This record gives sequence, structure tokens and C-alpha cells, in this order.
Amino acid sequence: MTLPLMRGQAWRSYGLLFRWQMLRNRQLFVLLMTIQVALGVGVIYGFSYLVPQITPEVALFFATGAPTLTLILMGLTLVPQETAQARVSGRFDYVSALPVPRLAPMLADVSYWLLVQLPGTVVTLLLAAWRFDVHFHLTGLVVPAIVLVSLTSAAVGYGIAVTFPPSATAQVTQFLSIALLLFSPIEFPLDRLPGWLQDLHRALPITYMADVIRGGLTGHYGGSSTLAFGVLGAYCAAGLALSVRAANRRS
Amino acid sequence: MTVLQVERLTKTYRGGVLANDDITLDVAAGEVFGLLGPNGAGKTTLVNQVLSLLVPDQGRITVDGVDVVRRPDEARRLCSFQPQAAAPVEGLSARQAVEIIGSIRGGRHAAVRARADELLEALDLSEIADRPVRMSGGMARLTGFCMAAVVPGRVVVLDEPTNDVDPLRRRALWQQIRRLADDGAAVLLVTHNVLEAERCVDRLAIVAGGRVRAIGAPGRLKAELGAPLRLECTLDPDAPAPQLPPAASLTAMTGRRLLAHVQLADVGDAVAWAQRAQDDGVITEFSVAAASLEDVYATWVQMEGTPA
Repeated sequence: MTLPLMRGQAWRSYGLLFRWQMLRNRQLFVLLMTIQVALGVGVIYGFSYLVPQITPEVALFFATGAPTLTLILMGLTLVPQETAQARVSGRFDYVSALPVPRLAPMLADVSYWLLVQLPGTVVTLLLAAWRFDVHFHLTGLVVPAIVLVSLTSAAVGYGIAVTFPPSATAQVTQFLSIALLLFSPIEFPLDRLPGWLQDLHRALPITYMADVIRGGLTGHYGGSSTLAFGVLGAYCAAGLALSVRAANRRS
Repeated sequence: MTVLQVERLTKTYRGGVLANDDITLDVAAGEVFGLLGPNGAGKTTLVNQVLSLLVPDQGRITVDGVDVVRRPDEARRLCSFQPQAAAPVEGLSARQAVEIIGSIRGGRHAAVRARADELLEALDLSEIADRPVRMSGGMARLTGFCMAAVVPGRVVVLDEPTNDVDPLRRRALWQQIRRLADDGAAVLLVTHNVLEAERCVDRLAIVAGGRVRAIGAPGRLKAELGAPLRLECTLDPDAPAPQLPPAASLTAMTGRRLLAHVQLADVGDAVAWAQRAQDDGVITEFSVAAASLEDVYATWVQMEGTPA
């Protein structure tokens, strides 16, 4: 079988799995989309209550941190919870025994959730621009930034779902969500954290995730954009490789 | 031509449970091969290894000569299947579910649509096929069968396809299973429905305690039983269990139902004994009939001390 033909079949499989995902969730689609919009609105308003003095820097972090946070939480909570549910219902094994590329089911899931989140992200950014007077300068790099952040987070989330028993997945993802919200430099600058946590975050992908999204939306990166994309790309490649390995693992 | 070959397959789960113990069997193109056995006998473990969802500790599985333990991608291409659990059809209409799987399995759009129509019609699902409603257990199971049959693999694995299905549709389902084999697939069928399976399978294996206890065509297995007739009695719940006459040998006793084998020469004695027992109020009714596959099944499962 030639490589282009295999590639064509891989895309076809992905498209069919995405269609399957859309059809099975269509009744919830509007509800989930509305929740994402409400979450975005909540983040913008909620954080402004938490911090009474909104400086331009704080406003920038809130406005760009909100979509980053929702993208990461999609990968770290929605994807693993959906995967855990699929393991319990038997859907995971069913799809695993279909002749599709190993990453196609996860990519179809991520695509579906990105679509669910898109209106919420747009509303969040518009609201932030209006409320905090933040000016966005969208660059072409925002697209690879969104793809890298989503895929890296989803790969980690998928790894959690296939490693832990389904009953423990919700607890693990909740713990990660709290850690992300309170101890990660997404909604605030890295230098607010204690030294040891700053060092840890320089090795983890979260800082770079926030930076590539912020840079893609405003044109200004906190550090080197090459470093941020490089580190994130490496994490993404490693995460996807581990996901393929996990999908191929048989007991 | 042999399509599926399972050789000396052994599988032990974590915790030391021996689920499959040295299993060898083969299924040819055009053959419906039944796997019969009590709950926990290791049947689903066996088919999950054929589908490459589990890896055997020892042994070899080939489909069309391809070692599917080493090539799980080929297992997925060469085998279509209906799982023991309901197929994941939530939110989809039966037609959507069948057509998506047909396309995923590489079928062309028009051919998939035509085959889906044919299957849904044959199983009397056409009227509800386009409604994306929550399906009953039987409907979901029939849809699961259609998903396995729309673009069948060289091996079609069906794990308890008739569970929850009403009698009329079950009859149609058996016809479609037979047709899959007639069209050239090797069908591996896991079932508890011994009596109905007898009419559909070409050969079968009785599995108990992880081992194959008997294997062959239903007729041959019945002949090996050595007793052409069965005496079936319904016991009176208030009376003590009766002592069988020398003419009958006990096969199985489940609840109030007693099954015994009877030789042709002894049938008169056996009937006389049963009539007396009925007159004495020990049994409420009895019948004598030709031995069936159920007797073979009960004999082997009982013999190995595994509850049926």
C-alpha cells in the first residue's frame, strides 16, 4: 500500500470518527457550548472580583489566560473523563478493535471539544477587550499555538485515562485542575511564584503554553517564541508518542 | 480452507486466574463455529485475543496465515466483531451506526448504504432505523450485529448475538449469521443459546474451566454421547428427589428440571419408571425425546464439575 493512500485512509478514518463523535453528542452540543461561553464570562468577571486593581498587565494575563486555561482543561479534564467513560461503557475497546490509526479516536475527540469551545473563546476575548480595554493583534502563530496546547494537554489527559482505573480518573483530573488554576503561571506572571516553583515551571510545558497563546493573540511573547514553540513541540511529540504507545498497549 | 487457526493458546490474568488453557481450534471459510460454555469459561477471553485486544501468554493465532498476535493492525482489518456488551450506538440511529462502521471498515458509500438497507430490512429494523432514540437492549444488539456484518472481515466474531432479541427477529438473525458464512466468512460465534445454535453451527467447541472439553460437528458430538434419547422430568418441589432407574443415567439437575440419558433398548423401562414417579407425585411431568446438543453440553460441563 502506498504512503499517500495510507495517509488518505487515515484522514478518512479521522473524519468518520469525528462525524461519529458529532452525531452522538449532537443533543448536548448547544448545552456544552453555552457552558463554555458561561465559563469564559465567569473567568473574566470572577477574576476581576478576586483582584480589585486591574492594571494593564493583569488585564492582559486575564484576557489571554482564560482561553489558555480552557484549552488545557479540555485536554486534562474533558478528554480523560470522556475516555474513562468510554472504557466503562465498552466503547473504548470497540473503537480500539476498529481498523483506524491509533491516534485517530483521540484526535477526533479533541477536534470535537475544540469546536465546542470555539464560541466560548471568541466571546471571552471580546468581553476581555471590552471590559479591560485589552488590544489584541492576532498573528498566524495563534493557530499552531492552539493546536500544540490542545494536543499536548489531550495527550496527557489520555495518558491519565488509560493509566488510572476509570473510577480514579475524575479525582486525578480534579487535582490537576486545582493545581493549574492556583499554582501555574497562566493567569499571572511566573515571577509571582516561589523560586522552586518557577524552576519547576521552566521545565514543565504550562508556562510555554500560556506564552504561545498570549503571543499569538497579542504579538508579544514573555520570552523567546522559538524556545516556547520548541519546548511545547517537544512535549507534544513526546505526549503523542506515549499516547500511541498507550493505545497499542494490550494486557 | 482454514481462515482462523488458534494453536495451544494459554492466557492467565493478573492474580493467577487461568482463563484459557492450551486451546486449539480452527475455523474454515464458510463455516459457523460455535463456542459454548458456562459463564466464566474463558470464551470472551479467547475472542478478545483473536481481536488482538488481549495478548496470550503462549500460543499462536493466525487469520489467513497472518500472525495477529504480532500484527494487531491486521487483526483489526481481518476481523469484524460484535462485542458481548452492547455496541456503542448511543445518540445514533441504527442506520447511522451501521453506515459509519461500514465506511470505517473501508466500504464504498453506495455499497455500504445498500448492505445496511438489506441488513436492517432482514432484521425488521427498517421502521426504527432512522430514529436516533435510546434503543432497547435487543435493538442495540441487532444494530451491533449489523455493524459487524455490514463490511464483514475474513473472520466475523459474534459474542452472544441473540441475547435480549425477540423470537421472530432471533430467527431472522440466525439466517443472517448463516448467510455471512455462506458468503465466505469464517464465523466464530459465542453463545449460551445451545438449542438454537444447534441449527446454525457447523462445528462447535464446548469450553469449560478455560479448556476445550469437546470439539466437532453437533451430530458427531451427539453420537459420542452414547445415548440417543433423553428423559426430561419436572420434579415436584415438595417431594424428595427420586432415585433414577438403572435404565437412565443422570445428565443434569437444575432447579426442578432433571435430565437423563436413555438407551433405545431401555426406553420402555425408563418410561414405566417415569409414569410411576408421576403417579406417586414425585414428578409433575416428563417427556422422552431424541438427545440434543444441550445434552452434550450438560454432560461435558457437568463432567468437569463446572456449574452450568
